[in-house]
Amino acid sequence: MSSPIHIPMAPIYVVDILGATLMILLSALCVSIARGLRRGNPENLLWTYLLWLSFGLFIFSMSRSGSHLVKYVLLALDLDQAWIQIRPITGSLNSLSFVLVGAITLFFSQVYAMYQQVGQDKALIQRAHREILELNANLERMVAERTRELSASEEKYRRLFEGSRDMVFICDGSGKLLDINQAGWQLLGAQEKEQLLGQNLLQRLLPADNQGNLLGRLQDRDFVSDLEVILRREGAEDSIGLLAVTVRRSEAGGPERIEGILKDISSRRWMERQLLQADKLASLGQLSAGVAHEINNPLGLILGYCQLLLRDLDPQGQLAQDLKVIEKHAVHCKRIVEDLLKFSRSSGTTKTRQDLNGLLLEVLAVVKGKFQVERIRVVEELALDLPRLTVDTDKMKQVFMNLIMNARQSITGEGTITVRTLLSKSKDKVLVSFQDTGCGIPAEILHRIFDPFFTTKPVGVGTGLGLSVSYGIVRDHEGEIRVETALGKGSIFTVELPVEAQG
Amino acid sequence: MQVHPEPEGLYSHQIAHLFFILSMAILVFWLRKRELIREPGWRLIQWGCVMFIVWNAAAFIGHAVEAEMTEESFAGRGWSRVFIVQAVISPLIYLLLKMDHLTCVPAILFLYLGLRKIKQRAQAP
Repeated sequence: MSSPIHIPMAPIYVVDILGATLMILLSALCVSIARGLRRGNPENLLWTYLLWLSFGLFIFSMSRSGSHLVKYVLLALDLDQAWIQIRPITGSLNSLSFVLVGAITLFFSQVYAMYQQVGQDKALIQRAHREILELNANLERMVAERTRELSASEEKYRRLFEGSRDMVFICDGSGKLLDINQAGWQLLGAQEKEQLLGQNLLQRLLPADNQGNLLGRLQDRDFVSDLEVILRREGAEDSIGLLAVTVRRSEAGGPERIEGILKDISSRRWMERQLLQADKLASLGQLSAGVAHEINNPLGLILGYCQLLLRDLDPQGQLAQDLKVIEKHAVHCKRIVEDLLKFSRSSGTTKTRQDLNGLLLEVLAVVKGKFQVERIRVVEELALDLPRLTVDTDKMKQVFMNLIMNARQSITGEGTITVRTLLSKSKDKVLVSFQDTGCGIPAEILHRIFDPFFTTKPVGVGTGLGLSVSYGIVRDHEGEIRVETALGKGSIFTVELPVEAQG
Repeated sequence: MQVHPEPEGLYSHQIAHLFFILSMAILVFWLRKRELIREPGWRLIQWGCVMFIVWNAAAFIGHAVEAEMTEESFAGRGWSRVFIVQAVISPLIYLLLKMDHLTCVPAILFLYLGLRKIKQRAQAP
């Protein structure tokens, strides 16, 4: 038998000590890294598991390598017996640490399954979140689009509302104004819309047919169309309007909203009246001309025979006196007939170029003295740049005389007559106006003043042909006569004569 | 009450080693099954587990061999203690197995490197 070989244990001890130290160091580093991972995402189960595993291995390292190091320290201190005594304890701890690490490791599959489930759930939640976000974005897009459409619609109807030339309004069930467009508040004579809001508009719209107020009519009707109403305006004359109203009812059946459109037809009505007047005067002119022509010849014969008989009779005799009465009245009739012919524009005219200011001054010279005595002041405001017009001198003088005398007769006591001439801004008309400070003309007879034989004077004082004749003469000169009057304040008669037509 | 004579401690420890081996093997199995080893970090951890299995196996055998030895196999005390080789193979195996840190330290080193890699990837933007 060979002799035994003695192998020193020191190198093994050195490897053991170094290895044990490295084990502790590396396992501590593992714990540190695993903690860092978990701190980065505490909800990640896998990182939590790695931290457990690292802790388990650290405990394992501390138990195993720690006991090794203790062993070498005790051996170095010659405390072999002490090591023999604690060795079973460290060995048991080692066994426990193995089991601990093993147990942790066995959990991996469950932890990973949970990790995957959480991951899937998270993905599902994220997908659902994305879908919700997309739906939300889609909804927002739809809302924005709908809002844009609504805004466009609102703007369109607002433009229609505000841009309308007719009054458009919305009232509550009692007629109180809620909204009105610009044309509306301007027509009502307000300075701004807010001035009218809350006022009862329906009380200012009076049906022209005088058959009950508007609100009363709307109690049992859902709409009213083409109703002529008189519109009471602030600080201005009433207007005439054509009204269309729709009523929206509440569940109880009463009016809740009253929406309407009012068209101002005052101008149209004025035009219609003017046309009617012109029509009427034209018809009267034709009639007058016919009558005048028929009467003119017999009158001429009556006058002729009267004068023949008077030539052979004693001027002082009774028969001669009677014939003179007949002649006087026949002459009067003839003058009327001549006036009628002038009104109907059937009499002959001789037109020459004249200065209207000159004609006016001639007429005024005739009446001035008389007016001075009667304390009537005559003011002349004559334009110096008037063109000469081609007119029938006598007839135009008659027009001026008629209008001046009319002005005089409207004044009771003292007063002023202002005579003006001026060239229109467009320089196509010459305007001659006669303004008095008289009593004015009542509205109800205004449309009749140019009618033949219409007069407000007592019987025998006037024939009622002055204005008719003037109208006929002015029309014969292709001109017009306009009247503006204010009761108690006076009137203005304006003769408009065209410049171009006069050559 | 059951009596626990001397060999029971060794058996418990050996069973713990076997349990350790089993758990590490199961972990390797799941890492592969779940295809986590496609990632470098988990692949390193897998190698750590393998090294722990090797270490446990070595430790298990080492403990078994050590159990066969008597005080006569050694001489001296402390740092001057020597191992008296009586036979040719078994004692040499014992020496190799005694230096189990050669497998244990790489195992924990793999684990450390694996964790570091995982952390780097987790923190990458």
